[in-house]
Amino acid sequence: MMLCGYLPLKLSMKDFFRRYWVKALFFFSVVGPGIISANADNDAGGITTYSVVGAHFGTKMLWVLLLITFSLAITQEMGVRIGLVTRQGLGGLIREHFGVRWTAFAMLALLVANLGTITAEFAGIAASFSIFDIGKYWSVPLAALSVWFVLYKGSFKTTQKIFLIFSAFYIVYIINGFIVEPDFVQAAKDMVTPTIEWTAPFLLTMIALIGTTITPWGQFFIQSYVVDKGLNIKHYRAEKGEVFLGAFITDIVSFFIIISTAATLYKHGVRIENAADAALALRPLAGDMAQYLFAFGLFSASMLGAFILPVATAYAFCEAFGWESGFNTTWENGKTFYSIILIAIILPALIVLIPKVSLIKIMVWSQDINGILLPFILIFVMKIINNKKIMGEHVNKLVGNIISWATIIGIIIATITLVVASFAGVF
Amino acid sequence: MPYISHLLNSKVRDSSEAIIGKLDDILVKATPGDYAPVSFLAIRLKNNPDLVYIPYAFVETLSKEEVSLNALFSKIQPTPVKEEEWICLRRNVLDQQIVDLSGARVVRVNDLRIGEFNGHMSVLGIDVGIKGLLRRLGLSWLGLERILAGNLIDWRHAQLVHNKGIQLNLAAKSLTKLHPADLANILESLSLRHGSGLVQALDAKDAAKVLEEVDPHLQKILVKYLGPEQAASILANMSTDEVVDLMKMLPKEEARLFLNRIQKGKVKKLENLFLYEDDTAGGLMTLDYLAFSPEKTVGEAIAEIKRASPSLRSIVYIYIVDTSNVFLGSVSMRWLLISDNDIKLGDLLKNYPISSTLSPEDDVEEIMNVMTKYDLYTAVVLDESKKLLGVVTIDDVMRLLAPKA
Repeated sequence: MMLCGYLPLKLSMKDFFRRYWVKALFFFSVVGPGIISANADNDAGGITTYSVVGAHFGTKMLWVLLLITFSLAITQEMGVRIGLVTRQGLGGLIREHFGVRWTAFAMLALLVANLGTITAEFAGIAASFSIFDIGKYWSVPLAALSVWFVLYKGSFKTTQKIFLIFSAFYIVYIINGFIVEPDFVQAAKDMVTPTIEWTAPFLLTMIALIGTTITPWGQFFIQSYVVDKGLNIKHYRAEKGEVFLGAFITDIVSFFIIISTAATLYKHGVRIENAADAALALRPLAGDMAQYLFAFGLFSASMLGAFILPVATAYAFCEAFGWESGFNTTWENGKTFYSIILIAIILPALIVLIPKVSLIKIMVWSQDINGILLPFILIFVMKIINNKKIMGEHVNKLVGNIISWATIIGIIIATITLVVASFAGVF
Repeated sequence: MPYISHLLNSKVRDSSEAIIGKLDDILVKATPGDYAPVSFLAIRLKNNPDLVYIPYAFVETLSKEEVSLNALFSKIQPTPVKEEEWICLRRNVLDQQIVDLSGARVVRVNDLRIGEFNGHMSVLGIDVGIKGLLRRLGLSWLGLERILAGNLIDWRHAQLVHNKGIQLNLAAKSLTKLHPADLANILESLSLRHGSGLVQALDAKDAAKVLEEVDPHLQKILVKYLGPEQAASILANMSTDEVVDLMKMLPKEEARLFLNRIQKGKVKKLENLFLYEDDTAGGLMTLDYLAFSPEKTVGEAIAEIKRASPSLRSIVYIYIVDTSNVFLGSVSMRWLLISDNDIKLGDLLKNYPISSTLSPEDDVEEIMNVMTKYDLYTAVVLDESKKLLGVVTIDDVMRLLAPKA
């Protein structure tokens, strides 16, 4: 008897391409997380906050941007390292090492920060449609519905890719940044000379600047990403380089948004009250099309965030509290998972629909909430990454610890000063 | 009956009512399939950072109101204990992921219920519900207890998957009682760390069955995590078409490392399957089937099936080929069963329509058409000269149609 058949040998070109393709995919799977996470950082809250920074304070805050580029690189790298070593998400790790109370605390912080950010995304959607004279009572419910529909029925991955490609729109800011002929000398000077105004508006904008660049959800996101990709510590060097590159690219974009608004709006004393004002910064490049270009960019950035954040929030919660998650669970089993997503879509949408709220303020203040809550999440990250039992030989080095703690303490001090300054302003 | 959240950190008094310290942890003995009896209390003494372990025999009461010893503390000789040999309820169980065997799902431990069973203080149940969460958070006063349904799992139906050697082996034993498909789902919901630990603890045969059911992405991750050395024995137990699909997802050099470790004969088969595109008959077919010469008798065939059965996933048909491997027809188990032992297999053959066979390039659509038209559970794949290349079974087609299940 024979156990198996016999086969003729043939080698095809297809075979060759398949192998090659696998390699290319492998390359992208490693190149992914840093860039994606960094790119998603420039969401509705991001564009608006950077625009406000430039429009209201010129290039004065560029030194903060320079410093937090390092902070962003280091904190994201830590997230990657924890993910590679523990192969577990941040939510699960916090639960297993700090117990249920600290977990509840961390998750509450994450929830508030994320709801804030999602609110900003819907505000961004409303603002971009307002440029076309479409009211928010139409655009926001429609966007909320389509987000839910795509998440529940459609392909999350494809949609994510589409909006990620759209967000290449930021390149226009870089080109625009050269066209407006900004004062690069002054910008360079401001980048290395810390100036601070002890007023509530300045501090509020500064914390928003930090909070939109380094976010609590970004910390959770990057760690889950490397875990889901199945990367391990072998990939550490490639990942590290990629994360650093990602941080650099994000902040280059941020730099040019600030420069563009500084050289246009700040110069003429225009304050940003709505999206149309922010769009003016693109006039030198796009002329009369600036409005539409800005609307398109803001919309796709907002949609990207509106897709990722509710899901990211639900995954983090389910991991920490042990509820079933994922879109292939049934309604019955995944009740909590789906409920969190629904709440994270509906509640923010409702907030944006409150009559007469300032969309710009929502977008900036939500980033303040992120900034204020960030130190709490980072402290957990620091406790984990310096724990030899968890990280083994991959615990933090001195430089990493110094930069991270400096970031944490810096934000805390800024927050306390903000509180004091706003009270001082009142009395 | 108390919950562990009531007990931890409560003051421990000895028989003179003096407070000696706080309850830090409870150590129980791992007893598979039974309630785990409490063996030691780990107590953090006042003014002393070290833990002492008091055997349960010295415990007077262990309740929500009071934790007390039945002797003077100075009279008790604390026992040296290696924590690795016991299950520490706080450190190893609370807040960790466990497998609920009765529901075949992964849950997180929110609280533990402790009580007398057969005269022994034991862990009885695992609270995985919101109630347990609120109790741990000290929010029981909210009074939601009455509205919320409890969610308690019997300790005997729960399996720890903590990274400790002994426990994992026990876990492996009780988990193999689950269907491989359920076990695969569990693997998918465990954290990668625990999941890969679990695969390592299973024996190669069980691990192979489970791995076949796991979604391809996780398959890849797990195999890479295990490395060629450990994965080889698992891969050798998987059916050839599954191994090929898996290897196709790896970069060439890596795949080679894995293939180098699998026995020679199997590799030859595997290399042949590599030639075909994934979603074609050639890519879907398996090489694990039984083929016989038409001269063999029914009795001989049945004897061979009995011998080869352990190494084959399923046997629905046997295939009859001539000496140069040209396909002559197939015989179902049913026909074998009802035919006399001395009948030659060749005599059982009926003419088969050539359109009921597949060629390696046929796509899924074509495969489904053939299988539906001729009511087939398996379809043979033939080359141009009608030589038997392999067999596509219906489960491989179903997997393509319902990838999420």
